[in-house]
Parts: sequence; C-alpha cells; structure tokens
Amino acid sequence: MKNEKSGRDAGGAKRDPLFSFRYLIYDIMILTAAIPGMLWFRPKRIFAGGKKPDLSGGLLIIANHIGFFDPVYLMMLFPGRRIRFVCRKEFWATKHSAFWFRSFLTIPIDRDNFGMESFREITERLKAGSAVALFPEGHIDTEGDPIGSFKSGMVLMALRSGAPVLPVLLTKRKNIFERLTAVIGDPVELDTGGALPPLSKVTELSEMLKDEERSLAGFLPEKLKNRL
Amino acid sequence: MQREEITEKLKEILLLTDVDRSLMEGDISALRLKEDCGLSSVGMLYTVIGIEEMFGIRFENVGLEDFVTVKDVIDYIGAKTE
Repeated sequence: MKNEKSGRDAGGAKRDPLFSFRYLIYDIMILTAAIPGMLWFRPKRIFAGGKKPDLSGGLLIIANHIGFFDPVYLMMLFPGRRIRFVCRKEFWATKHSAFWFRSFLTIPIDRDNFGMESFREITERLKAGSAVALFPEGHIDTEGDPIGSFKSGMVLMALRSGAPVLPVLLTKRKNIFERLTAVIGDPVELDTGGALPPLSKVTELSEMLKDEERSLAGFLPEKLKNRL
Repeated sequence: MQREEITEKLKEILLLTDVDRSLMEGDISALRLKEDCGLSSVGMLYTVIGIEEMFGIRFENVGLEDFVTVKDVIDYIGAKTE
C-alpha cells in the first residue's frame, strides 16, 4: 500500500518517482548511451527459464564479477530499469567522485567497518521496488575460480526486504567486437517466514544461491563456457 | 532496561550464530565478539539485525567493527534503551 502524500509505502520505504532531478544525470546518461551501447555490445540475454521472468518490483541482482565494466553490462541487460549498485565507499572519497557516484545511484558501503545505514538503505530501496545490484564475491575474480565464495550479507538483505534474488552470469568478451552474452536466471524467493533464521541457514541459502549462479553456465553455448 | 535482561536476550541472539554454547554460560561481558565468539563480518551483521529487531533500537553512526567485546554491545543497547 502506498501513501501518495509522503511518497513512501506502508513500510515507510522511499519510492522511486518516474522523474526526479535526482535521477537527471543517470537518466540522461542512460538515454544518450543506450543506443550506441546497445549497438556496440548487442547484449544477448539467455533466459534460464526459457522466457523472460517477471522482473518488476524490488529485485536484488547478483552477478559474477569479471571486470570493471560489469555494472555497465548489467545496465544494458536490464534496459528501462534504474539499477542501484552497491560499491565500496572509497569510490566516494572526494567531493567530485561522490557527486558522480551519487548521480549514478550507487550505495556506498564500508567494507572494513560496515554500518547499518548502508544495510537499511539497501533494504529500503528494495522494499520500495527498486533494483539493487551487487557482486557477492566482493571483488573482481583474479584467482581463476569462475565463481568464488559468496558473502552471505546479501541473503540478509533479501530476507529483510522480502525482495527476490536474481542471479546473472556474465561472460568475458574475447575482443571488443564480440557480443555481450549473459545468462539470466529465475528470481529466487528466500522466504523464511519473517523470523530471522539461524545464521547457519543464512549461510546455507548463500551456498544455494552460489550453486544457482554456477548452474547458469549450463545454459551457455559451448564456446562461451570457458569465458567466466 | 536492566543489564541482566539485556545480557539474557543477547545470549539468545548469539546462540543463533552457532557460537559455542558453553561460552554462553555465566558472565559473557568480557568475551570478544570475533576472537572468542568467532563472529565473522556476516555474523556481526546478523547479530546487529537480531538486536535491532529484539530490542526495537537502531544502530546509528557506528560501524560493526566499533564493537570489540560483548560488554561494548551491552553498553550500547543499555544507552539506547534508557
């Protein structure tokens, strides 16, 4: 249920308006970059479920982290949705960078000393129907393991917001002319009945999501299976 | 809220994090959250979420690493529930 006057839903979460000056830079960037970006990358989406799943409403997008431009790739895979990326607070270090990262709707987190403000912002945004994306490995893969261990914090974000988790598998491009190919899984609901489950269950759910992410590789064409 | 009451409720939350049950007997205030209770960063986040929901408080302007011992957490909850 929404409260039209306050711009918040019944749970008190802020809603994303269709237009706001706060989103001006983001929206202009998307509008101006969309056509050349789509023409250059020609993103190819493979849906694990055979057809495009319902991607409306709050959505926690998780993806493997293969390079610095992964956020851009994700934005092209979900045209028409504003995606808030969770990023390390170091990117907000200067006034100049903070301005741009705020304009690009990122949510800063302190990886060395995590604060609840970041957690609340993420869950509030999800409750309000926004799409939030993060890379649960926490870093760009440099160890050769296509999908490394997941940090379980994202499970707590999903549980406390009630938003489904959407696993996405990105593939590396062999050269700059190759199409961007990604597998998009089905949204996973993590319903534990409202109560906070034991931490062991949270870890179990995190492992389950990692397996889900790994299984998406099975939907890739043979020539792309070693490009993770 | 009484300190004893806070401690007992905190024990309930910590037990959900798979902490060694024997550690939760007696006085727990001197226990270090990471080294003794074995809480990882996710374990710390989990504990704080549990505390917020159980005590109806909000952790504000503090990072999870600001809490070293159980006593630090009890003191924070005590101050918030005064």
